[in-house]
Amino acid sequence: MLPNVGLSRRDLLNRTGTGLGAIGLAALLAERTSAAPKPGANPLAPKVAHFTPKAKHVIHLFMNGGPSQVDTFDPKPELTKNHGKQAGALGKSTERKTGPLYKSPFAFKKCGKSGIEVSEIFPEVGSCIDDICVIRSMHTNIPNHEPGLLLMTCGNTQAIRPSMGSWLTYGLGTENQNLPGFVVLCPGKPVVGPALWSNSFLPGVFQGCHIQNLDPKKVIEHIRNQNVTATTQREQLDLLNQLNGLHKDKRGGDDQLDARIQSLEIAYRMQTEAQEAFDVTREPVKVRDAYGKGYFADACLAARRLVERGVRMVQVFYGSGQPWDDHGDIEKGHRNKAKDSDKAVAALLRDLKAKGLLEETLVLWGGEFGRTPTSEGANGRDHNNHGFSVWLAGGGVKGGMTYGATDEFGFAAAEKKVHIHDLHATILHLMGLDHEKLTYRYSGRDFRLTDVHGTVVKDILA
Amino acid sequence: MMRLALAAAALCLPSVARAAEPDAQAVEFFENKIRPVLVEHCYKCHSEDAAKAGKLKAGLKLDTKAHTLKGGDTGPAVVAGKPADSLLLKSLKYEGELQMPPKGKLPDAVVKDFEKWIAAGAVDPRGGEIAKPVGIDIEKGKKFWSFVPPKEPALPTAPNAHTPIDKFVAAKWAEKGLVPVSAADKLTLARRAAFDLTGLPPAPELVEAYLKDTAPDAFNKVVDQLLASPQYGEKWARHWLDVARYAEDQAHTFGVKPKTQAWRYRDWVIAALNADMPYDRFVKLQLAGDLVSDAPSDPFTRYAGLGFIGLGAEYYKNTAAAQAIAEELDDRVDTVTRGFLGLTVSCARCHDHKFDPIPTKDYYSLAGIYMGTNFSDAPLCAPSELKAFNDAQAALKSAEATMKKVQDGQKAKTGGFVARFAAPHLVRAMTADIAERKKAMPPAPAVAHTVSGNGSGMKVYLRGNPATKGEDAPKGFLQVLPSPAKPGSGFGRFELAEAIASKDNPLTARVIVNRVWAWHFGRGLVNTPSNFGALGDKPSHPELLDWLAVNFVKNGWSLKWLHRQIMNTATYQLESKPNAGNDAIDAANVYLWRGTRKRLQVEDWRDSLLAVSGTLSTQVGGPTFDLRDASATRRTVYAKVSRHELNGLLRLFDFPDANVTADKRTITTVPQQQLFALNSDFMVNQAKAFAARAEKLGANTEERVRAAYRLAFGRAPERAELELATKFLALPTSADDKLTRWQQFAQVLLASNELLYVD
Repeated sequence: MLPNVGLSRRDLLNRTGTGLGAIGLAALLAERTSAAPKPGANPLAPKVAHFTPKAKHVIHLFMNGGPSQVDTFDPKPELTKNHGKQAGALGKSTERKTGPLYKSPFAFKKCGKSGIEVSEIFPEVGSCIDDICVIRSMHTNIPNHEPGLLLMTCGNTQAIRPSMGSWLTYGLGTENQNLPGFVVLCPGKPVVGPALWSNSFLPGVFQGCHIQNLDPKKVIEHIRNQNVTATTQREQLDLLNQLNGLHKDKRGGDDQLDARIQSLEIAYRMQTEAQEAFDVTREPVKVRDAYGKGYFADACLAARRLVERGVRMVQVFYGSGQPWDDHGDIEKGHRNKAKDSDKAVAALLRDLKAKGLLEETLVLWGGEFGRTPTSEGANGRDHNNHGFSVWLAGGGVKGGMTYGATDEFGFAAAEKKVHIHDLHATILHLMGLDHEKLTYRYSGRDFRLTDVHGTVVKDILA
Repeated sequence: MMRLALAAAALCLPSVARAAEPDAQAVEFFENKIRPVLVEHCYKCHSEDAAKAGKLKAGLKLDTKAHTLKGGDTGPAVVAGKPADSLLLKSLKYEGELQMPPKGKLPDAVVKDFEKWIAAGAVDPRGGEIAKPVGIDIEKGKKFWSFVPPKEPALPTAPNAHTPIDKFVAAKWAEKGLVPVSAADKLTLARRAAFDLTGLPPAPELVEAYLKDTAPDAFNKVVDQLLASPQYGEKWARHWLDVARYAEDQAHTFGVKPKTQAWRYRDWVIAALNADMPYDRFVKLQLAGDLVSDAPSDPFTRYAGLGFIGLGAEYYKNTAAAQAIAEELDDRVDTVTRGFLGLTVSCARCHDHKFDPIPTKDYYSLAGIYMGTNFSDAPLCAPSELKAFNDAQAALKSAEATMKKVQDGQKAKTGGFVARFAAPHLVRAMTADIAERKKAMPPAPAVAHTVSGNGSGMKVYLRGNPATKGEDAPKGFLQVLPSPAKPGSGFGRFELAEAIASKDNPLTARVIVNRVWAWHFGRGLVNTPSNFGALGDKPSHPELLDWLAVNFVKNGWSLKWLHRQIMNTATYQLESKPNAGNDAIDAANVYLWRGTRKRLQVEDWRDSLLAVSGTLSTQVGGPTFDLRDASATRRTVYAKVSRHELNGLLRLFDFPDANVTADKRTITTVPQQQLFALNSDFMVNQAKAFAARAEKLGANTEERVRAAYRLAFGRAPERAELELATKFLALPTSADDKLTRWQQFAQVLLASNELLYVD
């Protein structure tokens, strides 16, 4: 069928990509020396980490818009006590003018063996708390969505750096060559859009593959041939392979020509494999019921199917725009979104655990910043970059713990502060990468996800 | 108890501090209360060890007395006896912008200890001297190869080589023990030259004429013909647009004024290249077309090139505006210096360049030229046309304002009885009038999106931080390079352009001849085309590079001269086959012993598919089209380039990120690219058109296959290929297929390696 197929699976993995700058590391070397980079090497082939990784995959559940810490994972009895008082009277302030202190409309409940308090709007996630590490002392630079989202995804407040998923696939490759290594699931687009999963100056193969529609027939562009039957397409491809074989032989062989021949073959297989991977309807009814209904639930389930098949990073945006941005009615807004996602998130954790995947999959939940403990309008909350919560689960992180704290009202991180750069450093560490060594030489200098910042939060490592 | 005792000890301190020599108690206080805190919470980022590990922050060391008093970027950390003036204490108190340690405020008692310690004279028994800062030695820096002006070298003796380039190359072959392969056949050469110069397969007539032409300069004639075609500018403009990080929008979407005529800059580059505009002129018009004294008479040539900066990055400025402006300035410094000079000046934004003789001050001298300049639109039409449009716009606005007033009056129920009842009629009449004005509105006049103004100059931003300003950096050029104008307030974009587009600049000519070389051969003589600094590649053929640079300038900075020099050589015309002996010595073909097989850039590939299927539009210039339109037939250079969301086809095939200047394209081969070839509507459309075109050219299968091969590859099919085709076309058909076998066959040829790679 295929002419000149004398390649092992390993060769195939290594040769299905090709080219000069394609290999980030080689591009780096090429700028330092005149040694020729090896053509035909696959930039997405799995690579050896800097040290033994705890996690192999990342699932980032991005609650874009910015969930409120004091209504979710950071209970504040003092806030309740001081409800209605002006922030200024307590020596506190917010970036923009806001109303008085506003207690959470939700009750907090002690959950799990660890007894960590979680808001009543997350009963299911609360029941998984013993697998979760809540970081309550997050802080970021700017209380606006665009720079906030960019800093969380790319480590810079401007759209000038590669995203974390791009760095991860650059550093580690991916385990399944028939699927993209970095998948972004979002119906529509979050605010900012594609810059959030940009490869920037890294080679284009490391860009996130944005999938809006989870219909398996539409997941990846051009995944389906709508003109000929599978049998006919196979015949077409056989002819193409034979003609390409004759072409190559006449030229005395060439790695780049080989690479394309192999790549065509993989594309052919990808058509069926990718459609299968994204097809959540293949899951048992019981499993689908556990996740619940809707895009986010399906995306969570798809995320599990993808990491199961070796995808390096899956980023699930809760929705298009900035859905968690409840300036208006925090109670109604947060309750609805929690109701819509609580079951799916918990199901994802349980499902990963049941399949033995949680150990090697790091799950990150959180937004781009937090919200003010004071009110905006009658019952909303404004943006707050000084303090917020995210949580991690699986992938080498201690479960059933909280780390750091905000002040007594939840205005700002006060103890064991964790900046986004620190979070990034920690995630890379769990993936077996030293954030100071994962570099890319570009424009004359070595760039990092964490720029010149970042400290691994060692206390939360299992 | 313990605490009380210590507080009591502290209270004793003021009297102690007055003594000339620190007494034991003061030292003890330092050792007990201050040093441990410094060691635990500060040394990690503020010590000699931190400096050695490259982790020193803000230039501040707190591990010696001298350094503590001297302080870092923002001044003294401790002023003995003056707690209020001591930055260290301020930051410990978490009161201002500086809050230390970053992990969280230390307990109040500790902060109080520091206050007492400073108030009592900051007794500090630690020794250690401050090392003299090592500056950059500019004069020494000038001796690096790329800063030494190129001199025309003598041609090496190479008896079998007939052109200067061939002589330099042959000398390297001899030196390295390489034996060149044979010359490529004429068909291969015709295709190589056509793709290189026009990004399209050669017209069958051109190939036929060339194959028949036995004159020794037959190939030269092909090159001349291709250089004279408008498709040359379309192809080579795209190379330059990579460097110019050309795009029509911004990466972010909030509050960005759309630049709807961005494409005029692209058309300017195409026109400049087609006219063989001298490269020094090409540089000057892009940097300061509005300011040059011998300005071109037509506004398009004068202003549209300013899009080089005028279409540059604009960042989100609602918050942290100073930082965002600094990023915008960096875009300009980076694009100008890497693009024209092959220097990574951006590396000197936060500290002196670590490898090249570029102090931080030089960075801000350049950035200051753009600090406070504006993005503005220059009209490209006749003044009367502009006036007509502006007048019509003003009249429309005024009519709309009047109507709003009337409507507001209606809502507010003011204006008296008559006015209220007359108003509805009035509004109807005005609505009609406004509609009429809109209909009669002349089209928006042509404008160029430019940069204007001359920059206010700036101070050095210590560590790149706009909040911490250092010494003045008068506007000016890089100290290591010659400049006709002196630094100072009079140094603006024009002076910058003059300094760059100068024969005395050792880099400008070298950098562009090397780029052109790299775009022909797939690798430059310097393999880092945008980095001629210490970390860049060293030239493989330094004498050849200098010969080219010097003669390029001598020949009027003519790019078409340069193409001829490069292409009319035995070196360019070698076949691209491997050779075991040479491979062992130089597998990467650094020394040019064979031709280079290149994958077509995505633009050339898409354009070739259109050309082969006979659907390619020949329209030159004009507004952009959307590549998502699978039936679009214009050349890809005219497709919209977005920083916000790059088109999928472009991204898939390694089109560079237009947020930054790009010196070369990465080449990756991934399955998603092949999905495009197998399944996309565009590909299927071309297959159908190609099939219909070839079908008409033959009476039977064999004749049609021959016609298809001639159209696609400019050659006849070989026997094996003909047999495979015949066999495939005879396969039984399936009722579910929407493509005929002949169309399927056409798609296979279009998807083949032969159409994607050029020998």
